[in-house]
Amino acid sequence: MTQFLAQYSIQRWMEMCPQGYLEDTVYGHEPNEHEPAVILDDDDEREAAIRTTVGLVVGERCALAASSGLINAAPDYPSKRFLATQTLDEARHVEVFTQRLFDLGVTADNLESTIDRYANPNLVKFAEVLLEKVAAGDFLAGVVGQNIVLEGLAFSVFEMLEAGNREFNPKFAHTLSGTIADERRHVGFGENRIGSLIAQHPEKKAEIERMQQEMTYYMLAVFADSFRGDDNKPKSAPEPTASAEWHGTNLSTASPEEMEAVLANTVLGEFKTRLARVGIEYQTPRVPA
Amino acid sequence: MTDIDVSAPGIGADPSRRRYELEETGFKEVPKKWRKFYRHWGGPLDTLAPNEVICPVCKVVIRATRELRPGDKVYCMPCMSRMVVVVAESGRLEAEVIF
Ligand SMILES: [Fe+2]
Ligand SMILES: [Fe+2]
Ligand SMILES: [Zn+2]
Repeated sequence: MTQFLAQYSIQRWMEMCPQGYLEDTVYGHEPNEHEPAVILDDDDEREAAIRTTVGLVVGERCALAASSGLINAAPDYPSKRFLATQTLDEARHVEVFTQRLFDLGVTADNLESTIDRYANPNLVKFAEVLLEKVAAGDFLAGVVGQNIVLEGLAFSVFEMLEAGNREFNPKFAHTLSGTIADERRHVGFGENRIGSLIAQHPEKKAEIERMQQEMTYYMLAVFADSFRGDDNKPKSAPEPTASAEWHGTNLSTASPEEMEAVLANTVLGEFKTRLARVGIEYQTPRVPA
Repeated sequence: MTDIDVSAPGIGADPSRRRYELEETGFKEVPKKWRKFYRHWGGPLDTLAPNEVICPVCKVVIRATRELRPGDKVYCMPCMSRMVVVVAESGRLEAEVIF
């Protein structure tokens, strides 16, 4: 069942990661790299970068809470060991993206208030759905929620961000590429560990599909914000709550079709394929009551 | 680390298959010894050689020392997935994950 982990060890993780692609990096990038002046010298650009980075910190904090929480829920030692390395990966991701906030001028005293101010409320809700399963000690749902739903999506988003920053901001792109390399292991664990487990526990499928449906709703709302350019557009006011009117669309009543249209055939297509591979049928989310 | 890690390059014995000399292409995500067996995927416009297949899980290109054929087993070290090479509807070679 966990035969795919037979080749995985903390030794292997050290050779690949700290002694491999992370060797000689400083907070995930090369020591001599800095944020470009075009971001640091322009208040609007800087705020947009802070907003994007807060989203990454919030997502990574969720992954840290979920991967550490799942260690004790895991039914076998190879999975526990894997999740222990993932926990350190996620803690590092929280650290490097938090460091980026400091590099962008956020002070340690203002860190939490900055995160509260810019965190997308839909992303916070997305995390809550997952962490509820983790808190209940539900390994199967927790791994689907984290390593397939959360990380499958994060993987696509990081790849898009990395490609977009490669020329413009090599420092940020390098931080992202180390994160992507870690993420490959995490999505690999999700699909390989869960693919066989779902087949053994078909009775869990309905519940897991419900969780996926709920997480997807919030995820689409987050994406809708970014794909409409709202996350990227500099603005001084904090983001509205989920119930607020937003550029002519109310996120809490917008049809999933409207939101999905924004993402058709890109991130969502990839996400559906990932779910299908492990035997979970993508459920189009309903508008929450 | 054992031979199981290099199941893709290990396909090599069949003399009717074209051979490929592999060189490192800057993929640093696995220990040095295995770096030449993988490369970064350049997106949908990236054309794959007959000895290459994309890992559907983590999107890395897996490279073998001989041309790949349907039924070959390949291993993706970056994400630890095992897969089998199949012919897709498009006629292209693709990899299917074995759970
Ligand atoms: Fe992460
Ligand atoms: Fe992760
Ligand atoms: Zn892979």
